[in-house]
Amino acid sequence: MPNRAQMRYLAAESLAGFRRRKLTTGVTILIMASALLVLAALTLVTLNLGAVLESARGGLDLRVYLRDDVPAEQLAELRPRLLAIPGVDEVAWIDSEAALAEFRRQLGDDAPLLDLLDRNPLPSSYHVTFTAGARDPQSVRAIRDEVARWAEVSEILFNQDWVEALELWTFRFQMASLVVGLLVFLAAIFVISNTVKLTIASSSRIIQIQKLVGATNAFIRTPFLCEGMIQGLLAGILAMTLLLVCGRLLGASLGGMVFFTAAQTAGFVAFCVLLGLIGSWAAMRKYLTLRSDI
Amino acid sequence: MATRRPDRPAAAAGAPPDSRTIISFHHVDLQYDDQKALADVTFSVTNGEFVCVTGPSGAGKSSILRLIAMDAFPTRGQVIVRGMPASRMNRSRIPELRREIGFVFQDFRLLEDRSVEANIAFAQLVVGQPHRLIMQNVTRVLTQVGLYDKRHRLPCQLSGGEQQRVAIARAMVNSPKILLADEPTGNLDPATAQEIIDLLFRVNDAGTCVFFSTHDHEIVKTFGQRVLVVEGGRLRSDERRRAVDRTASLADHMYRAPAGAAAGAAGSARREPAHA
Repeated sequence: MPNRAQMRYLAAESLAGFRRRKLTTGVTILIMASALLVLAALTLVTLNLGAVLESARGGLDLRVYLRDDVPAEQLAELRPRLLAIPGVDEVAWIDSEAALAEFRRQLGDDAPLLDLLDRNPLPSSYHVTFTAGARDPQSVRAIRDEVARWAEVSEILFNQDWVEALELWTFRFQMASLVVGLLVFLAAIFVISNTVKLTIASSSRIIQIQKLVGATNAFIRTPFLCEGMIQGLLAGILAMTLLLVCGRLLGASLGGMVFFTAAQTAGFVAFCVLLGLIGSWAAMRKYLTLRSDI
Repeated sequence: MATRRPDRPAAAAGAPPDSRTIISFHHVDLQYDDQKALADVTFSVTNGEFVCVTGPSGAGKSSILRLIAMDAFPTRGQVIVRGMPASRMNRSRIPELRREIGFVFQDFRLLEDRSVEANIAFAQLVVGQPHRLIMQNVTRVLTQVGLYDKRHRLPCQLSGGEQQRVAIARAMVNSPKILLADEPTGNLDPATAQEIIDLLFRVNDAGTCVFFSTHDHEIVKTFGQRVLVVEGGRLRSDERRRAVDRTASLADHMYRAPAGAAAGAAGSARREPAHA
């Protein structure tokens, strides 16, 4: 554990790179922030797509149309059977008269056309909604297939197509984000690693002397690790600030856009710090050994 | 250039001949990538000795120093320093060993952007001395080397001899048991070289083993108490002299005495083969 004098020294040396190589360090932070901005933006879009998908899944339901030649008592018995299916949340009865009234309301000025019909063409139905855990196309499709086999059921309406398309595109976007994110991750490590290598190269004399007088590897490495972490921290803060500004500007036109929570923002910045740590560690693995080049 | 540690220690070979042995080489080979630096080198050094290792450039002097500092490891044979065998040396323990060794180089290796005081304090800082002790120790060694008044100067504001004295002060501030001096007078004029040698003798008088590498025959003839001659990576001779005139003037030897007389002066001190 370093003593106070060593802590002061390590703190000063961690910041020395920023003082001695303002331009290089500044450019590194800018490049890294740009890469991280891309990463953060992709994450944000993924988050928003997730929110849209979740909202769409909330609208997943089944319309179970019933045969009109089945007695009303028998149709009434279907409700507890539907409710007994795992994943079913609510079952609402819509009789044929209510359906016709609703249809008439939807037709508006054209409603008198319905008077031309000699009987109500609309069947009674059950409107089935699902619990949050069952709101995915696969589960709902399984329930639909089961209910479709019941003798009392004439037809089932299932609005799964666009949800499935949305899911597919969300998945594709997530995969693309993952690949781009991985590239950005490697690029950020590469940039930090090279900056720290520059610092190591320009500090070769002091490193050599540290080795000669018996400094441990941990003591020699600490300022470089801290420098990488500080660069990661600053780049992360810069990227988040830029994203926040862009989010605010776009927010007006994209109403209801989801932004990172405080915890997610802190997590992202912590990730950037980790990135800086990995980058500087990678630089030192190659360039720092116990050899003092006597 | 990487060196390979031997698979196993060179047996009992490395057994110290004397409990006061501080450095022991036993049939040591050192091979760099494609070049043999040392071959079958055997010698031992006891506490408090002043040893000159000499030979032409490329003979292997610096390789011996590197092995002592465990900056390189023998490809064959055994090196034991302060009881620590190189073959069993864990890398994490190397800093511990180096805290017992001081280093002085021909090119001083000072931090140019730090004052004399800060250069010396740095050696104490990295080994974790508390601030209060650092200042005490720095003051002590700066007084010993006669540079206390110049403690706030930068190295570039000092002469070569003064810079070398700072380097010696830095090497001594952690109170090492061994001082490795690699051509410490190589960049200095004879008078300044004499001052540095005097300083090294004082360090030696205080009980530190001094291992002094030089290719300068005059220095060896004038001051060598024990002389290891290395040529082509082999130890050609290991001689001790019973007494050396420490008041002898290096400048006299170099500029005034005829060549034969210089040899005679060196020979006037009784020589005998080393027993180590």
